Amino acid sequence: MKEINPFHAAINDPGGLAAGIKKRSGKILGYMCSYAPEELIHAAGFHPMRLFSSKSDICLAQNHLQAYCCSLVRGVLEDSLAGRLDYLEGMVFPHTCDSIQRLSDIWRLNTKFNFFADVVMPTKLNTKSARTYMTDVLKKFKTDLEKAAEHSITQNDLQNSISLFNRIRRDLSRIYELKSQFPSIIKGTDLFAIIKGSMIMDREELAQRLETIVLLLEKKDPPPYSGKRIILAGSICDMQDIYKLIEASGGSVVADDLCTGNRWFEGSMPENIDPIEALTARYADRAICPAKHSGNTTRGENLLALADTHKVDGVIFATLKFCDPHAFDYPYMKEFLEKSSIKNLHLELDDQQQGLGQLSTRLETFIHMI
Amino acid sequence: MTDTDKKKDKRKIRAAKKMREIMTTYYLDAMTARENNKKVAWITSGGPVEPLIAMDIIPVYPENHGAMIGASKMGEELCIKAEEMGYSQDLCSYARTDIACCKVNGGPMGGLPQPDMLICCNNICGTVLKWYEVQARHFNVPLFILDTPICHTDYSREVESYVRRQMDEYIIFLETAVDKKFDHDKMAEVGRLAFQGQKLWQKVLKTTTHKPSPMSAFDAFFFLALIVTLRGTQIAVDFYEELSLEMEERIQTDISIIPHEKYRLLWDNLPVWYQLKWLSQKFSDHNACLVADTYTSAWCSALKYIDENNFLDSMAQAYTRIHLNIGVDQMADQVLDMIRTYDVDGFVMHSNRSCKPYSFGQMDIMNIVRKKTGIPVVMLEADMVDPRSFSLSQTDTRIDAFMEIIKQKEWVR
Amino acid sequence: MIFAGIDIGSITAKAAFIKNDKLMATKVIPTGYNPITAGEKVFSALLEQTGIDPRDIRAIVATGYGRNSVKFANRAMTEIICHGKGAHFLDPRIRGIIDVGGQDSKAIALDRTGQVENFAMNDKCAAGTGRFLEVMAKALEVKLEDLGTISLGSRAPSKISSICTVFAESEVISMIAGQQKREDIIAGIHESTAARVAGLVTKVKLEAPIIMTGGVAKNQGMIKALENRLGIEILVGDYPQENGAIGAAVIASRIHLQKI
Repeated sequence: MKEINPFHAAINDPGGLAAGIKKRSGKILGYMCSYAPEELIHAAGFHPMRLFSSKSDICLAQNHLQAYCCSLVRGVLEDSLAGRLDYLEGMVFPHTCDSIQRLSDIWRLNTKFNFFADVVMPTKLNTKSARTYMTDVLKKFKTDLEKAAEHSITQNDLQNSISLFNRIRRDLSRIYELKSQFPSIIKGTDLFAIIKGSMIMDREELAQRLETIVLLLEKKDPPPYSGKRIILAGSICDMQDIYKLIEASGGSVVADDLCTGNRWFEGSMPENIDPIEALTARYADRAICPAKHSGNTTRGENLLALADTHKVDGVIFATLKFCDPHAFDYPYMKEFLEKSSIKNLHLELDDQQQGLGQLSTRLETFIHMI
Repeated sequence: MTDTDKKKDKRKIRAAKKMREIMTTYYLDAMTARENNKKVAWITSGGPVEPLIAMDIIPVYPENHGAMIGASKMGEELCIKAEEMGYSQDLCSYARTDIACCKVNGGPMGGLPQPDMLICCNNICGTVLKWYEVQARHFNVPLFILDTPICHTDYSREVESYVRRQMDEYIIFLETAVDKKFDHDKMAEVGRLAFQGQKLWQKVLKTTTHKPSPMSAFDAFFFLALIVTLRGTQIAVDFYEELSLEMEERIQTDISIIPHEKYRLLWDNLPVWYQLKWLSQKFSDHNACLVADTYTSAWCSALKYIDENNFLDSMAQAYTRIHLNIGVDQMADQVLDMIRTYDVDGFVMHSNRSCKPYSFGQMDIMNIVRKKTGIPVVMLEADMVDPRSFSLSQTDTRIDAFMEIIKQKEWVR
Repeated sequence: MIFAGIDIGSITAKAAFIKNDKLMATKVIPTGYNPITAGEKVFSALLEQTGIDPRDIRAIVATGYGRNSVKFANRAMTEIICHGKGAHFLDPRIRGIIDVGGQDSKAIALDRTGQVENFAMNDKCAAGTGRFLEVMAKALEVKLEDLGTISLGSRAPSKISSICTVFAESEVISMIAGQQKREDIIAGIHESTAARVAGLVTKVKLEAPIIMTGGVAKNQGMIKALENRLGIEILVGDYPQENGAIGAAVIASRIHLQKI
């Protein structure tokens, strides 16, 4: 489908994409965590751009982060210190995990971008005081953005951003729905490109393109699917090969619980209430990341519900080595799945790794086995 | 007794015996809590214990237990057990050993007394949140989370009001848990004792500014247990009073902790619990004394934020602005301050695989220290409890080289 | 007056004699299983080679990971200080040393007088050390000493990004399966090792001229990869392996002259 080509182009050359955006519409703010309030960044007239590691050799970052720091955090720091992110106007750090917490300090002390903001979101999300605090933090961030943009963000700006992001989320959800209904309707690698591209492309352009893709997909008459239905769960999954290999082995990813997937786009914001309140509601109620707290078994229950809705045959956990929040949740989530007789496999990945290596044997065997 | 033995005996700190007795009694009380109709709360080392003491709930510290496991060299076996349970080898070894202990009743005491509730304060790391969620599922008991947002650069009004509100939620949580009204007068009294205890702990630590030093960081690692576990009690106040007197007496009578103190060093990060003896001997052989550390001083570093007469209201700030919950540049400032106060010749950093918020940023601190003071800095790769992350010969070489660099300053070229 | 330095590394044991502040002779033998006998062996081999009476040796300094097992030495010093002294002794202009040995890799910064200003070592993991190259050579079924020459034929080095030896080995195996050229894979291995070592170099901010020591200094492919990565010329002296032992002998002479 040629409509997907721009997404592949975007993810293959994020630097080139960023240069284009910078030239056309101005300033770019980077972020690494799906709790970064993109709507606010966009409403201020900045382009929100999620950063992924370019997977270059870690050299400069070695002087700041030890080898037991996760490859994503080290990789992005390396890109920044090596000048590969010079297109950025600045960076936004919503508090995520211990490693990104320190990355924020190291970034602040060692880089020279015009803009820098710690948006220390609450860790606890299920209390009234935490929500009040989140609202306070968002308001403060809004003021910081206004200062940097040298103009105020009106209610109207925010409403417009919210409805734009609602459109994007709705269309991404629709594509996921179709993928689950007709797994052969779109290739896994194409879906990967759409999702990853959606986090970096110009959002107005993105909304248009997604709409077109949805329309095209809805017209398609895909053949019935008889392969294995898989959920991919974990932190970020920046490895196209996984999707490719799953399909080559006779499976398909029909749903995910990923920070670069469902957790990032699911849900919509109410458009008829105060926009900051709407943002608070969205970020407090969305599918939760393990670095946040909202009950002791929420993530396990979410995963079971997901498995049930999508009638899956197996779950593949793809986590990054040295990612503590996910490593702590893995044993109980596995147990939850096993109690419901859902087969699962754990792949511990290095974000810097090129290709799956020996993991591919395990992945193939797993899909044949279920 | 030979002469050397006598001298060695003289160097021993007498209060250590008392401290062991107090800790034994404390753990016995905790072990028999149920029989005595008392409730037990597990709490993180940086958590607000004072409301528990005021409510007559016995606080138990899995992290203190983790240190005991490490020191008694039971870490490896328990870590492996946790890994068998599915917990990655890269996770915090305190968490791994604790989680494994609950399964096998292991460790030097055969496991901790079961909790009736869990109190988790994330001012030290995000790991405790995940760890306490694991335990909340395991024991099926209520979990209270005190969320203290990190203050990278400043302590904002939003943070103050959020944490202050949570202190009230904490009290309500405790009232529900033990079905008893919170006694504010008692809390005020506990607050005063906690303040006094921390003041005295600070006084003890400050005695090492004297040359030669009457104690070392290795002693501080040991004597720390009380200010963590029994903060807010008269017992802790009395003990540290006694300990500080003993230190004064050592200074008066010129008793140093190592025989020939020639070099003074500062330690960063948690101890390497299973190698304390080897490390202290190693440094002592080089006539080097670790006179201070950033770890044990964390239990008095927030004193400036505490209002002795209004403890409850000042708690939010005091618990949020601790050493690990601030930016790396502010941590470096505290290190520089200690280098001046204790007049040290070198800085030893433990890069601790288990503790990411303490270890990431260390290299930046190292560079700041080098630039601003010029003193040699060495980084030792290890883990606080898991000996598999420690290489004796590699550490040996690093310490020797580091000491050679310090000494080389005195060599005639 | 003659002074001796003995360096017991994880793979080879080295000895050096200096006489009247001039290098006299050196010797390299495999360490083998027992570091104690390795020290004795290399020392007596060099005595035999030079025909010197052991009683004429005024002082001996031992270094390397086995330094404390050389019981007949007057003193043990770490290889960091010894490499500094050795490099400075052989070429007083040297301000930086990159030492890649079997177990460890190090970057050592010297001041103008040859004193160590700062140093950095690899962490516990093996990536970026000679051991890493050994594992990779085995996976590729190539002799360790041939890695350098083979890699020089590469036009397009493969990309190995994993920092972990285990992950990297897995990457290499899938490259072999993917029928990538052997010289490209080896050049890729050198580049990834060079990246690790370069990290140490920037950590201590080494200034030129920089010399490379240790067994890996004989690997031309590694030198080239490091030079590309750092954008700076890397010198290799006549005694890359014996540099630490020479430094130890220098220190022995200083001790004897009561300068230390």
